[in-house]
Amino acid sequence: MSLVNERERKNKPLSPWKPKKISANRSSKKAAAFPGVKSLNGRWGYICVTPFVVMFAVFGLAPVLYSVYISFFKWDPLGASTFVGVRNFNLLLHDSDLWLAVRNTFSIWALSTFPQMLMAIGLANVLRNTRLRGKSFFRTILLVPNITSVIAITIVFSQLFGRDFGIINDILGWAGLGHHIDFIEGVIPSHIQIATMITWRWIGYNTLIFLASMLAIPNELFESSSVDGATKWQQFRFVTLPQLKNTITFVLIVGTIGGLQVFAEPQQLAADGGSSKQFLTLTLFLYNQAFVNNKYGYAAAIGIFITFIVLIISAVNFVITRKISNDGTS
Amino acid sequence: MATITKQKTPRWRKVPKRNYILLSMIVILSIFPFYWMFVVASNTNAEISKSPPSLIPGGRFFIVAHKVLSAQGVYFNSALLNTFIVGISIAVAQVIFSAIAGFAFAKLDFKGRKGLILFVVGTMMLPSQLGIIPLFMLVKNLHMIDTLYGLIVPALITAFGVFWMRQIIDAQIPNELLEAASIDGASVPRIFFRIVLPIVRQSGFVLGLFAFLAAWNDYLWPTIVLQSPKHFTLQVALTQLKPMYGLDYGLQMGGAFLATAPLLILFIFVGRKLVTGVMDGAVKG
Amino acid sequence: MRNELMTKFRSKAAIASLAAVAIGAGLFTAPAKAAPPVTITIWTFGDVIQRNLVAEYKALHPEVTLQIKKSDLDPLDGTNMVTACTSKTGPDIVATEVSYSGYWRSYPKCFQDLRQMKTTGEPTAGIPAGQSATDIAKNYLAWRWQQGVAFDGSVIGIPTDVGGLEVAYRSDLFKKAGLPTDRAAVAKLWPTWDAFIATGQKYNSKLTAAEKKAGTGFIDNAGTIYAAIMNQGTAKYYSNDGSETGKLIYATNPQVKLAWDTTIKATTAGIGTRIGQYTSDWNIGMNKGTFATILAPAWMMDYIKAQAPDTAGKWDIANMPGGGGNQGGTQLGIPSYAQNKQEAYDFLTWYLAPAQQLKVFKSYGLFPSASVLYSDPALVGFKDPFFNNAPVGQIYAAGVQKLKPIFEGKLQRAIDTAIGAGLGRVAAKKQTPAKSWAQVLSDLNKVVNN
Repeated sequence: MSLVNERERKNKPLSPWKPKKISANRSSKKAAAFPGVKSLNGRWGYICVTPFVVMFAVFGLAPVLYSVYISFFKWDPLGASTFVGVRNFNLLLHDSDLWLAVRNTFSIWALSTFPQMLMAIGLANVLRNTRLRGKSFFRTILLVPNITSVIAITIVFSQLFGRDFGIINDILGWAGLGHHIDFIEGVIPSHIQIATMITWRWIGYNTLIFLASMLAIPNELFESSSVDGATKWQQFRFVTLPQLKNTITFVLIVGTIGGLQVFAEPQQLAADGGSSKQFLTLTLFLYNQAFVNNKYGYAAAIGIFITFIVLIISAVNFVITRKISNDGTS
Repeated sequence: MATITKQKTPRWRKVPKRNYILLSMIVILSIFPFYWMFVVASNTNAEISKSPPSLIPGGRFFIVAHKVLSAQGVYFNSALLNTFIVGISIAVAQVIFSAIAGFAFAKLDFKGRKGLILFVVGTMMLPSQLGIIPLFMLVKNLHMIDTLYGLIVPALITAFGVFWMRQIIDAQIPNELLEAASIDGASVPRIFFRIVLPIVRQSGFVLGLFAFLAAWNDYLWPTIVLQSPKHFTLQVALTQLKPMYGLDYGLQMGGAFLATAPLLILFIFVGRKLVTGVMDGAVKG
Repeated sequence: MRNELMTKFRSKAAIASLAAVAIGAGLFTAPAKAAPPVTITIWTFGDVIQRNLVAEYKALHPEVTLQIKKSDLDPLDGTNMVTACTSKTGPDIVATEVSYSGYWRSYPKCFQDLRQMKTTGEPTAGIPAGQSATDIAKNYLAWRWQQGVAFDGSVIGIPTDVGGLEVAYRSDLFKKAGLPTDRAAVAKLWPTWDAFIATGQKYNSKLTAAEKKAGTGFIDNAGTIYAAIMNQGTAKYYSNDGSETGKLIYATNPQVKLAWDTTIKATTAGIGTRIGQYTSDWNIGMNKGTFATILAPAWMMDYIKAQAPDTAGKWDIANMPGGGGNQGGTQLGIPSYAQNKQEAYDFLTWYLAPAQQLKVFKSYGLFPSASVLYSDPALVGFKDPFFNNAPVGQIYAAGVQKLKPIFEGKLQRAIDTAIGAGLGRVAAKKQTPAKSWAQVLSDLNKVVNN
């Protein structure tokens, strides 16, 4: 069977990112029908998805559905619960904390996604060079941050980011860039601290994703552009970057999924999200309402709100992806 | 990748010195927090609480390690074993179940497929914290409180794993290949085990390893489910090191370092494979 | 299987205790039968349950295994206990910190009423048989005992310690600033909080420009004054109207206003360094002498010793402004779904008996809640060399006896958090005091009504 495997690999680049034209063709075809393999018996599909559906229904969905149910209650797990209709949602939409949490979540998301993506693309561009010595060492080291627990790493970073005696403030002070910056009380500084932890953890992974995508770009494109006298920057700008569109979309989506669930880092910094809730994220807001204030119905309403945000983002993403693939074909 | 590295290196691919400097800095930044853990764990609290703090390891690591290992309620060996059992069970189950379901979603034509996958994607982004109390009641009714099953069973399948494998199978395995095989008379299970699984092996490994890491570092759920010290996983065991209020940084970092060391060792062996897997299985957006 | 065994043990224990109660203490000479093995599960945090005492109890009761699970405070008294009580499970003993006692006093159904329990008796430790919580209440500080009593009068927790609060100060730094260093003279510097703030300003005025730039100040965090003043009053955020939760009075209670205004005054006077407690900056500051005073609960003494061992002998303890103080403290209770209530109660009454509390105080610094010890020379004569041989036993004992009972209400923890955040906003110069207080009120409105 490995024969099939090998035969197949010769025809296809290893990475799913293919030059624009091919992928655009393929995706537009796929978007039309989303077909399965016709000659395979579709009934196997039911058998294949049954374990997943059952397990997911019991352990994934049921608890969440139960939460949807309790979002219509003033729900006290230890006492009486009263049906309150949409009161929780009404209160929630008028709760300034919600909008603070939205602001913080998106600010942290932006601060952790975009600089990270730029750095990852830059790093991938450096690592792409086949003449680079020790490249497999560098690639491997990049993934090391992924193995640590968020809690341990938050303790380390909060030491490094200490206002009065943290090393980072020592360095900033020495470089004349700032004096005793408060990476907890400041709104943007606290977001920077959290974004740094996220970036530190995920940049290696994203670099490898971009690297894989760059390695799939046919060399001829570079060679011809180099014959045309393009500078390195121009090559990067006009050859490499356009080929990364799909990857950028992917990294953005995964970053958004993670970004909406940022929880442990801010919680470890200060469980209430800071004195002016400057780093209260949506998920931390939900957690605190449920487990600190014991307002489960209200917390469930926050969960549903988050779902709506997810839906909106998905819709936006759908439109953008479609636009990109349309651009590709036209 | 073989096809790429075999190529003659074109002239435009010279490596400037500054790139090596940049990469070395990245290496240092990647490793520094681990190094810092060790520095904190091997110095006295007073040493760490100086300004500027000591940046070189002290001689106390074994004292601290001993304190960690003999602390009340910390059965490090059994915690290590428990964590391995939980991590590997979850990783293996997730890979297998996700591959099977992902295969069906990607390649098999059955009614309701499209709706189901959209639903899966939709629920993927919901914060799991939302369902903790109902989930706990469920797990309690299944008599899995204070057992490793209580950690393993709810995590056997994740929507993310299924979605991921679906994308991988969709991207890496062309329909024509499977069509050819089925015309040759191969049954669906045979096609899955003989063609699909070998091709997505690398990506499955990545999914498994990330599931393993997540299980290794999970804290919130284990601390609710596990009750007796003999059943603790590493992260729950580390909580036993905390003093009444605040933190004993030396002790805590010593524990964190000891809990991370097995992963670092594991990483030495599988790191390169992981790199290949991540690059190989990178999913299209 | 496990449950079956447990039930068996329980019924046996129940019979044994019934017998003990019926016969009374007179027949203890009868040869003791080997008791069946039992495992008592305990949920706690930090070092509430001391290791050496666990070993001691094991020697006394070889058949008892104490299985201890520690969690962080908030998950323990919040999530884990709520989840346990909701799903009718839980440990045999749970530690509740006083910040959560107001919450749990609204839910006595989650706890065994300890008035209904009777000790089996522990003759070697001087604990007679047949004692209910009502019988032993007299051994404990009255107001502290009240914190473990639920709204319906049932006793849901017995205090392990009282977080007596006094001022820890650096005599070397006081000397440098030209202030007196003798603890009696130091206490005379601040009979009131205003005098304390004035002393702080005097201290700060002696600092060099470089010290000021480095963030040096008189007290570690002026925000801690708030809790100190609150605990010197007679009411916090609730008044006792006999209801489950109590009646909210935070907006009108003059004590809240006094504590808030005084803390704001101290903050704007700049006597604090604004370093958050328990951060790594705090530990470093403690070693460097960045601040000269900490409002130190008794249990904090051990923390200071561990974090700043090099400052031994430079610290001393003086009385609090306003007289007496309290912060923190813990009580042990038996959840209503516990499997081994009798064994748990026997352990608990032994562990919290005055003799054991004295041992914990000497080895770890948790200040006894057993008020019978406050006249015991072993306690009042205790001096701590780390704190310049201050008679810490005597100072803290005097302090906690000055306090009056305070009614703890259901959402106290959340209210404390919101007000603490408000003080933080003023300290970080993000809001004016008036604006910050307005936000506190609107935040609290959400906490209470949403």
